[in-house]
Amino acid sequence: MADETTHLPTHMPIENRPRNISRSVNDHTSRLDGVAKVTGRAAYTRDRYLDNQLFAGFIRCPWGQARLESFDRERALEVDGVVEVELQGRSGEYHGDIVGHIVAESKPALRRAMNALGATWRRRPSLTRLEDDMDDPPDVNAATRDLLSEAEHVFEATYTTPVQTHACLETHVLVVDHDGERATVYASTQGTSVVNEQVAEPLDLPQSKYEVVCEYVGGGFGSKFPIGREGQLAASIAAKYKRPVMCDLDRAEEHLDTGNRPSSRSTVRIGVNEDGTILGGRIHTWGGTGVVQRGGGVRFPSGRFDFGEIQKSHHDVSFNGGAPRPMRAPGHPQGAFAEELMVDEIAELVGVDPVEYRKRLDTSDARREMYDLGAELIGWNQREATGEQRRAIRRGFGVGSTTWGPNRSNAECEVVIHQDGSVEARTGTQDIGTGQKTIMGVLAAEHLGVPLRNVEVRIGRSTLPAGPPSGGSVTAPGTSPAMIDAAHDARRQLLDAIAEQEDLNADDLRLEGGNVYRGDERILEWSRAVRRMRNDRITGRGRSTGRDDPHWGEGHSDGVQFVSLSVDVETGMIRVDKVIAIQSCGRVVARKTAESQIIGGVIQGLSFALYEEKLLDRWTGAMVNPDLEMYKILGSRDMPHIVPVLWDKGQSGVRSLGEPPVIPTAGAVAGAVFNALGRPVRDLPLTPDKVLAALDSQGGDA
Amino acid sequence: MPDSTSSAPPGRPADTSSDHPAEASSDSGGVSRRSFIQTLGVSAAAGAWARREQAAAARPDADDPDADDLETFGPGAQHITLSVNGQPLRTQVEPQTTLMEALRWHLELTGTKECCDRGACGACSVLVDGRLINSCMMLAADARDAEVMTIEGFAGDNGDLTAVQEAFIKHDALQCGYCTPGLIVATHALLARHHQPTLDQIKAGLSGNLCRCGAYTNIFNAVLDASGQSPIADPNNGGV
Repeated sequence: MADETTHLPTHMPIENRPRNISRSVNDHTSRLDGVAKVTGRAAYTRDRYLDNQLFAGFIRCPWGQARLESFDRERALEVDGVVEVELQGRSGEYHGDIVGHIVAESKPALRRAMNALGATWRRRPSLTRLEDDMDDPPDVNAATRDLLSEAEHVFEATYTTPVQTHACLETHVLVVDHDGERATVYASTQGTSVVNEQVAEPLDLPQSKYEVVCEYVGGGFGSKFPIGREGQLAASIAAKYKRPVMCDLDRAEEHLDTGNRPSSRSTVRIGVNEDGTILGGRIHTWGGTGVVQRGGGVRFPSGRFDFGEIQKSHHDVSFNGGAPRPMRAPGHPQGAFAEELMVDEIAELVGVDPVEYRKRLDTSDARREMYDLGAELIGWNQREATGEQRRAIRRGFGVGSTTWGPNRSNAECEVVIHQDGSVEARTGTQDIGTGQKTIMGVLAAEHLGVPLRNVEVRIGRSTLPAGPPSGGSVTAPGTSPAMIDAAHDARRQLLDAIAEQEDLNADDLRLEGGNVYRGDERILEWSRAVRRMRNDRITGRGRSTGRDDPHWGEGHSDGVQFVSLSVDVETGMIRVDKVIAIQSCGRVVARKTAESQIIGGVIQGLSFALYEEKLLDRWTGAMVNPDLEMYKILGSRDMPHIVPVLWDKGQSGVRSLGEPPVIPTAGAVAGAVFNALGRPVRDLPLTPDKVLAALDSQGGDA
Repeated sequence: MPDSTSSAPPGRPADTSSDHPAEASSDSGGVSRRSFIQTLGVSAAAGAWARREQAAAARPDADDPDADDLETFGPGAQHITLSVNGQPLRTQVEPQTTLMEALRWHLELTGTKECCDRGACGACSVLVDGRLINSCMMLAADARDAEVMTIEGFAGDNGDLTAVQEAFIKHDALQCGYCTPGLIVATHALLARHHQPTLDQIKAGLSGNLCRCGAYTNIFNAVLDASGQSPIADPNNGGV
């Protein structure tokens, strides 16, 4: 059944959608942890206030680059309830850089000690953006130079994107409960297994003596794999005092020092002929990687288009800012913004419709079909020629594309049937909001042959079978084959036991809806079937190593997005009206959570396109917007109508879905703005000042 | 909770403090929200004034001459009784303790989420005498005369969910779930004002609540459904 495909796209909202004919889509299952989340009973790591708990916090550099000149450690130690004040360094290389820590009996005591410390800093000049210290691109090589000299047009442009922060609503936090012999580590993480590996050393315990627990995570988006300094501090302080310790970051620290999507700059020289043929050219990208000089890669060119012979080069550039971490499709959205806008600009240069041009350049047949459907759903035929509008409010239409390869991940799963009829689906991965828990439950129930209500899904513990970190969009594809295998194994063991006791042939038996059938005859209901097992439980096991698995399936994740928007040329304000997001992800295990992934990806893409920017003050190097009012993320009033379209044509198996939908949105928005204005805005975010500047750039608005 | 007794030593100038380390150690000398509140907290007159204003806004009997407007509060921790979800709960708080901190740290009602700690995101939304409040922006001491309702107060004792909670689950109006309690509370406040809100009223009514995962489409549909209206129309069916 996993191999069935459908040719019907599906649409939001739930009530109005055409019924999907494929059994591969589960329409109705709601998120299994929904009740816990809507009642406030879901206990996140930041909610773990334990008896006798200590609180640990960091002393941080307040400027881009500064030296700690003076502080009064004794006075900080005198504050009632302060346990420990330690300074490890004297210089900070970026705003938020850690130079020490304080441990106290309470949060208020911790704050009072920070004040009592009375630190004074000598500020030094700092670099605040990649443009402050970037090298020139390498020379164009001979082949590229020849190619460009032969081309009828040479298109040149530079595209830039800002530093974006993950801005998880639950800030980074670990709570460690250590009694001297054993420990429980509560972590807000997307890698229970990563924390399990990294926390042993600061805990000073063998891995057999502690458990990592991660039941709910308030957002991660790539920033919550390593235990970080907060994990190291919480674990080492807990080991030292044999007491529970919480180390939770505040909102400013979350922006300053928990990773980010690095800034980018892409400069292109592309040779194009009058008929639209792209001969090739040079693409150079820079990544702005804060104090570390790594992790700033820009996925441009992406490989989704045939650009001929491209000479690609990349430099990472350091400056006085926090280090990057992977952020939902690392390197992709910033590359796609440049790539999609460049395609639109070249299409305009050679006088071809952007959708038609993409159908020529695109390397995927699936996307060629998606372009046609998307154009129809957005109303592409209403699009006016670029730059032709003269109204105060101008409409624009744009399009972008995405792809995500079928990556491997290893996973082990168990399906346990208890003698009382209850069933556990177990794996040591975690659900960061993706619906992973729900996917595990649906698959275990369906492949075992029992109703979903019988299944308790247990994830988010290091003592469960090894599950993957939630990264690279491989969690669902990696765990699904293993969970299916585990369910089949448990079912086979149960049917074998029944066959043996009833003197039947197990091959004649099947389990469906919790009942055991022989042919069409129901011979046992669930409560009686489970009493036939020899021990108190049956444990079915499954293991997946990737593509060799028979349930791995075919295809990879493709998508296109279409955007319609309006631009007010008097205020420069952009209002996105509608987004069509067509996305393939193989078998859809739970439609509601799958659509949520697509909608969420689009929203984060829009937020990246229009609003988000970590701003460092040029004089002091300090972040000027380390909060949630001046670091603007998309809110309810900014919402367009978003239509997710699940596409499983020609696909089987569970495929990646988390990252691909965030990739194309900003490029599609930028293309639509270009269409509306007739002039490109090549610098994200697309704020009103840049829109107005673009209109003014060629002698004012015609 | 370990901290219910610690307090600033007398004479320590609490009003020079600031709550995040970067600010605390800098020489920029800005006024943070918390240092502002702490300034208020150690000033008995200001605290009483704020409480009386609060009471005047909320209670018909605010002119009662026997009201405790001469009481001082702080600088140390003091016992107060809060009425939360219909239960009187006694706890000990410092003057600058916010309602959010009292609920989470002292009363173990952690459904109210700590997120931005300055009234920008709505994750800590509660109802105070029926009004939607960011509990990180209200002092616990100022909630003494009021009826506080938190996310824990909505589902019935028997576990029955409200129509809003049911609709959030049905429409998958949540992902990581950290913003969800605040949004459920805000939606109840919205539906108390507008029994059948338009889409624009929903967007405005929930604009104080940020969701990072991006569940807004489903949140709108959940609110429409919970108020007996059809979800946002499908563009293919002639809708917007």
